[in-house]
Amino acid sequence: MSAYEQLIKSGNKFFLVLEDLTNKIMTSKYNPLYYHGALPQFYLWVLFLSGLLLFAYYIPTVDNAYLSKGIINAWTSVEYINDKIPFGAVVRGIHRYAGDAMVITILLHAIRVWFTDRYRQYRWLQWFSGIVLFVMVLFIGQTGYYLVWDERSLALTRMTVYALEGVPLIGPGLKSWFLNGDTISNYTMSNYLFIHIGLSFSLLFGLWIHYVRMTRPVMTPPPAINYVLMALVLVFVFMFPITSGKMATLNGTPPTGFEMDWFFLAPYALMNVVPSVLVYWLIVVGITVGLCLLPMPWAFLIKEPPVEAAEVVLTKCVGCNLCYLDCPYQAIEMVPAPANSRFKLLATVMPYRCSGCGVCVGACAFDAIDLPDLPDANVLAQVKQIMEAK
Amino acid sequence: MANENNKVITLMCERSADVNDLLDADGKIKSVDGLHAVKLPCSGMVQPIMIETALKQGAAGVIVCGCQIGDCYYREGNKMIRERLLGERVPTLKKATDRRRILALWLSRPQKERFIAEAGEFVKFVQGLPAPEPAAAPAAKPAPAAAKPAADAGPKTEAAKKAEATPEKKEPAAVVVDADGKVDSTKTVKPASEDSNDKDPKIEVEVAPIPEGRGPLEESSGDK
Ligand code: HEM
Ligand code: SF4
Ligand code: SF4
Repeated sequence: MSAYEQLIKSGNKFFLVLEDLTNKIMTSKYNPLYYHGALPQFYLWVLFLSGLLLFAYYIPTVDNAYLSKGIINAWTSVEYINDKIPFGAVVRGIHRYAGDAMVITILLHAIRVWFTDRYRQYRWLQWFSGIVLFVMVLFIGQTGYYLVWDERSLALTRMTVYALEGVPLIGPGLKSWFLNGDTISNYTMSNYLFIHIGLSFSLLFGLWIHYVRMTRPVMTPPPAINYVLMALVLVFVFMFPITSGKMATLNGTPPTGFEMDWFFLAPYALMNVVPSVLVYWLIVVGITVGLCLLPMPWAFLIKEPPVEAAEVVLTKCVGCNLCYLDCPYQAIEMVPAPANSRFKLLATVMPYRCSGCGVCVGACAFDAIDLPDLPDANVLAQVKQIMEAK
Repeated sequence: MANENNKVITLMCERSADVNDLLDADGKIKSVDGLHAVKLPCSGMVQPIMIETALKQGAAGVIVCGCQIGDCYYREGNKMIRERLLGERVPTLKKATDRRRILALWLSRPQKERFIAEAGEFVKFVQGLPAPEPAAAPAAKPAPAAAKPAADAGPKTEAAKKAEATPEKKEPAAVVVDADGKVDSTKTVKPASEDSNDKDPKIEVEVAPIPEGRGPLEESSGDK
């Protein structure tokens, strides 16, 4: 057994023990680990809702050239939300901490599917789209920090511009895309807002890809779990209220440091320690691509024969839809039956999606679908053998 | 015939309670007399008809064992068979099936002890039930003893005698579905809903009109 298999195995054991414990405390119906995918999904809805409320009062400008009394820019609008709007600070806090919570729950989800060996073979698309989603979430979180337009936002902007400029060939293009021009201006701010919100909605598309091969994805935890998830966020909102830094000024001395946030800003810490921008990008892109490729066949790191897909017995299938409805991986498609058939539909298995679980065998009352590895006749033969042995 | 009435067959997900070290090559679970196991990739593969067949062949009872509800490796397999047993999802058990003889356990890999405890209790219980009516048990076929030169000529026959000696008394439906690794005796496997046909679960099939007017259901279900 390779070291990698050993790792997965002990990881699996860890989760089994942990889940046994959580089952004892909360029963399996309320075990949050059984809703690992639904947890980040819940926080995503919270983020959409709180973000919508913030959007109502947020003003994406950097204007401060003529800083005087009634100046209105991103920073002052955030302060306004925080100080003047009833519950503004609460909504802002929820938006911040739900983001952090989403990162934590995504990590929990990803580690669970990885350690319990639920990430390869027919599930590679879920894994792949999951990594893309995670990178998107991290980037969206970073753009959230630009939007506040305090000194940290300015420092992040400068570092990002520096990193983008360092990309070979397309560097200058990336820079002017990011700043929406050559320098930081009001247009920059509207671009930030567009990226932040636009990418957030693109998550829905990514999630569609993530879910498309799963029948009835468990997206909503029971209400009791939702209340607890919300309560956890509120505890932080009231115990550690959010504050902005000083307003960014473009013509003053640029900030040299900022308060770290390890959920979203970790890449900037990396940027600080690598010798050059190129190395930074190599590491970032390398990690992302490496993670995406983890479930690929030649990188399985686990030697195992491929899944044998279920097979339909064409002469027996009556097209009743039951296997199609019950298959957990959307691997069965009902196609029009051949012209000489008495039935209208015929089940067909998409082998690349099939997990070999046999749920369709359990669903079929006509004995018309079977696993090549273990046909149901084989199960019955084993039963018979046991019954006949003395 | 009554001789065979002491065996309990577990249709078992290979990822649920890990009994491998108790299992011999013939599928006998060593620590409980009369308890046998057939492994499947997922409890969701269990067809109600497999349970019925085992009972028809003279099994005293059938246990379905899957992982904890919520933790199916294949996402939904154990929920599917659970709903089928409860009559909430087709195909269901036939109405005439003796539900006292069926037990569902949802146990995770480390819960071997629990499996043995629950299964042992169940084995005792079903062995104490009166033998099923002869009509339901066409186990008349002579068992080819040579077919299995098994090492399991254990003391099973005693349990069978016990089963024979049990007085005729009607037990309440005692089949339990275990939702949390805790036996939930309020939830019995109920008979399929009244409107469901005794022969076949209600399955709607879209059929092209056939001149002779012969339905597909009678025909296809006959071959089981
Ligand atoms: C935006 C964040 C994410 C959300 C909201 C999300 C949500 C979900 C949900 C609801 C499921 C269905 C679970 C089920 O019903 O069995 C799922 C499955 C899955 N997710 Fe995610 N996910 C996210 C990110 C990720 C990440 C970062 C990874 C890993 C890199 C990942 C890998 C997977 C895999 C492999 C499955 C399939 C599990 C199985 O087939 O049992 N997801 N996800
Ligand atoms: S359940 Fe069986 S008969 Fe019905 S569509 Fe699927 S394979 Fe065909
Ligand atoms: S074995 Fe059947 S139910 Fe399972 S994934 Fe394949 S087609 Fe779907």
